[in-house]
Amino acid sequence: MTTATLPRVPGNRGPRVSPLRRVTGSPALRLVVKRLLMAIPIMLGVTVLTFWVLSLIPGNAAQQLLGAEATPEDIALLEERLGLNESGVSRYLSWLGNAVTGDLGNSLVSGQPVSDVLGERLPVTGELVFLAFFVSLILAVPVALIAAHKPNGVLDRVSMMVSTLGLSVANYVLALLLVLVFAVTLGWLPAIGYVPLSEGLWANLEPMILPSAAIGLPLFCFYARFLRGDLVDQMQQEEYVTTARAKGIGSWQVLLRHAFRNSSFGLITVVGLNLGALIGGTVIVEQIFALPGVGQMLLQAINTRDFVVVQAAVVIFALVAVLANLFVDLMYAVLDPRIRYGSS
Amino acid sequence: MAVADTPLQVAEQPAADQDDAVPGGRRWHGKLGIWLPGGAIALIVAACFLGPALFGLPRPVGGSVLESYLPAGSPGHLLGTDPNGNDILSRLLHGGRASLFIAFTVNVIGLVLGGTLGAVSGYVGGVVDTVIMRILDVLIAFPSLVLTLAVAQALGPSIRNTIFALAFFSIPAVARVARSAVLRLRGQPFMAAAELSGTSAWRMLFKHLAPNIAPQLITFGMLGMGIVIIIEGALSFLGLGIPAPAPSWGNMVADGQLSLSATPMLVVWPSLALLVTVLSFNLLGENLRSRWSGR
Repeated sequence: MTTATLPRVPGNRGPRVSPLRRVTGSPALRLVVKRLLMAIPIMLGVTVLTFWVLSLIPGNAAQQLLGAEATPEDIALLEERLGLNESGVSRYLSWLGNAVTGDLGNSLVSGQPVSDVLGERLPVTGELVFLAFFVSLILAVPVALIAAHKPNGVLDRVSMMVSTLGLSVANYVLALLLVLVFAVTLGWLPAIGYVPLSEGLWANLEPMILPSAAIGLPLFCFYARFLRGDLVDQMQQEEYVTTARAKGIGSWQVLLRHAFRNSSFGLITVVGLNLGALIGGTVIVEQIFALPGVGQMLLQAINTRDFVVVQAAVVIFALVAVLANLFVDLMYAVLDPRIRYGSS
Repeated sequence: MAVADTPLQVAEQPAADQDDAVPGGRRWHGKLGIWLPGGAIALIVAACFLGPALFGLPRPVGGSVLESYLPAGSPGHLLGTDPNGNDILSRLLHGGRASLFIAFTVNVIGLVLGGTLGAVSGYVGGVVDTVIMRILDVLIAFPSLVLTLAVAQALGPSIRNTIFALAFFSIPAVARVARSAVLRLRGQPFMAAAELSGTSAWRMLFKHLAPNIAPQLITFGMLGMGIVIIIEGALSFLGLGIPAPAPSWGNMVADGQLSLSATPMLVVWPSLALLVTVLSFNLLGENLRSRWSGR
């Protein structure tokens, strides 16, 4: 780094740098700032793309709201009131100007501010995604460790076969099969609905079990397979494993304290990359289980041509994906000393 | 399929050593792991495209309400009939035709366009590479199902529009795979030799790079087949894929959902068809990959 050229002061542990320099010169911080700056053009690209695609869709909210019998004059009037008669570029620029200040506009259909709608919907989708992630990771780590302890052993093969199967199930199929078994046949859990957390923890969790399982099970299979593969690679190819074994450390200890620590990087990466795709997948699961989340809002908005809401939902989804990637980079910087001190 | 693995083994010499390091690795990933799912796929394709004519099955649409809800094993209806009196087996096979056709077309478009884009990006490098990769970053950050839904809604549900929408989003992933494969090949001696003998850029791409990255791309395409079949099913499930009354596995699942407790088999049959097909493609892709990359 630039500070390396400064003269060393005896008695000091390192080159003398001003506190400000120490903060701005931190490689981890620079990485984060660089990534944040890179996220801006990506988000701009996503919003432009959405605007463009939505402008291609024939029919607009004014026609949809007034129905088939509306006169062209009525439609023109409503279009003017909703601001739909302006050119795409000027609509985009004014939308962007407001969005930067946190104002995502009003729904064309209900007139409600979109940020209010999102405030109601985001917690539902957030809870669904969190539960799915939580459950899948809690299950995937021990399964992968057990499978990797004896590669090609019985447990390894069984768990890998089951997880291949789990990866091949579409989430809507899994959702319906879960409903068929646990709601229709056994009657243990409700098939649809959402209860807010204010009515009790279990009342809230009970209807969330099947939807989060429908999303979480394929995810669990994916993480288990990925982590197992990475662990096996570490155990068979890395010299530090040989060293640890030569020191007489037990095989579980090597796996847990050495290999797993390294493999967790790969796991964090796929978890971060997954998040974007996962959020998109909630659309269909929310539809099946009648959960009032962002996905359901999006489907309704597409059907009613409520493009202000569609735009907001897409921005939220993309923002989550971009932030998740940023979080992955941050975790790298925190966990890996080579990145933390910029010596790679 | 066995013919195709020679070029990559030349390109990736160290891979062979890794494979030997896995005890029993070759046995499990041996021929059975490739022939079994491969055979299953061949069987499914044959059943979907030849089956209806071969067994003289009834048409998948336009059944009589008088014949609705017939149980499995009824004369002339091996799996019974649906609420509209259509033969379920016939609908399954015709639905499979649409799914397989869409998945195949989407993957061919994605592999050709995405593969070319990624290979050019990786081979040319510099500004071209940066611009292409940043555009792909935008596409990857974009929730693809969302845009596919919007496109399907905009252009109206049809097989052609579904293919367009899905192909568009399969491009960035393929491009990334192709790019990283090309980057790995850039340092190879045969590349330097070809460049030194004055080979043109296009000839480099198509004669030297394409055959070397093809196995990796085809393997990726197998996994892509499974993904596209699932997403196409999701679109049809939401009523934005193949327009009813034409059958698809997705809209059969969606229709069956309405009477899930009374006639669960209406959901189970298309679900099973989806599962077995996607599983076969995933196993084939997975086993081809471990064979070629030694993992």
